[in-house]
Amino acid sequence: MDYDALVAELRQLRENVAGVTDTVIAASDGIPIISDVAKSVDPAHISALAAADLGIARQAAEVMGLGTLSQTVVFGSKGYMAVYAIGRLSLMVALGDKGLNLGRLLHESRPAIERIGSILAP
Amino acid sequence: MLASALARCRAEAVTGVLRVAGNAGGLFHLRDGAVVAVDSPGSPGAETLLVGSGRVGAEDWVAALVDSVGTRSLQAALAARGIVGPAEAQALALAAVRDGAFAVAAGQVECCDVVDDVADGPPLPVAGGVDVDGLLSETARRLDAVASLAVPLSPYRDRVVPGRAAAGLTPERREIVAHATGRRNVRDLAFAVGRGLYPVTVEISRMLGEGVLEFASPVASFSFSHGDLATLRPRSEPSGAGRPG
Repeated sequence: MDYDALVAELRQLRENVAGVTDTVIAASDGIPIISDVAKSVDPAHISALAAADLGIARQAAEVMGLGTLSQTVVFGSKGYMAVYAIGRLSLMVALGDKGLNLGRLLHESRPAIERIGSILAP
Repeated sequence: MLASALARCRAEAVTGVLRVAGNAGGLFHLRDGAVVAVDSPGSPGAETLLVGSGRVGAEDWVAALVDSVGTRSLQAALAARGIVGPAEAQALALAAVRDGAFAVAAGQVECCDVVDDVADGPPLPVAGGVDVDGLLSETARRLDAVASLAVPLSPYRDRVVPGRAAAGLTPERREIVAHATGRRNVRDLAFAVGRGLYPVTVEISRMLGEGVLEFASPVASFSFSHGDLATLRPRSEPSGAGRPG
């Protein structure tokens, strides 16, 4: 696994999008692959929650006929958790504070997800 | 680019939104060519300034928001509940406009375009709006002030950690130190403590000069860890998804 390439992608996301506080890439079953998180955040917990969150959202998209799921976002009064599907095998989580630039995150993460997908499954 | 776009909005007496793409970027809400509010991911808005700082309780804020749905005036709802008076609300709205303009100008500006007014306008507009010329000169003054600080720093790039001199701090400074993990840049700290980007930038520069804070090393700014997975595929096959451990 080319971890250096994944590090570069996560670093770029946090530097280029105001408000991104933590990032995790995990397998779809909730096992963390790589993380860049604060001490107060456990990558294993986030990965498990994100996998469950994405699974439910994916199911909803399929049952409702909404097409292929690309992302699901949890809106809290103090911040956000955005979960992106990377193909069917893995996912990426971005945690953000109250001021997170969600539009910018979407704009930056779309090409990042494609690149991360090809790093994970070359 | 930002200055000329705003000047054009003023000349054409635009009522709508000037959208600034970039990092942090932001939205300038305009009425008849004057700026009534600025939303930027780079600067805390009214909610963060009031609730994040502890000035207003989260429940009171939500209650006022619900009240304001009918009247469309958050300021009136805050005043009716006795939470924030109109004078304080206007002072806060003006401070948020100036801070938002500084936050947009201090970051990267990629392009500006005018879009139709977004469905719901800003929650706490400045009555009568802020004149574009005054706002631009205040923003230029702030950018100059930050560039000529004794310890110059970038609100978006520089991350800080506690330094050695930590005695006798004011509560405001203690709060900044408590949130200075090295992962947070100046903008993140402003959101964490619920204060404006500009005042926090100036304060952090002074704290760096006094040794209360230090610039974080690249090692402290990011904390990458991975589990040395050899490959993704075998474990994630559907047949192995329920396997323990």
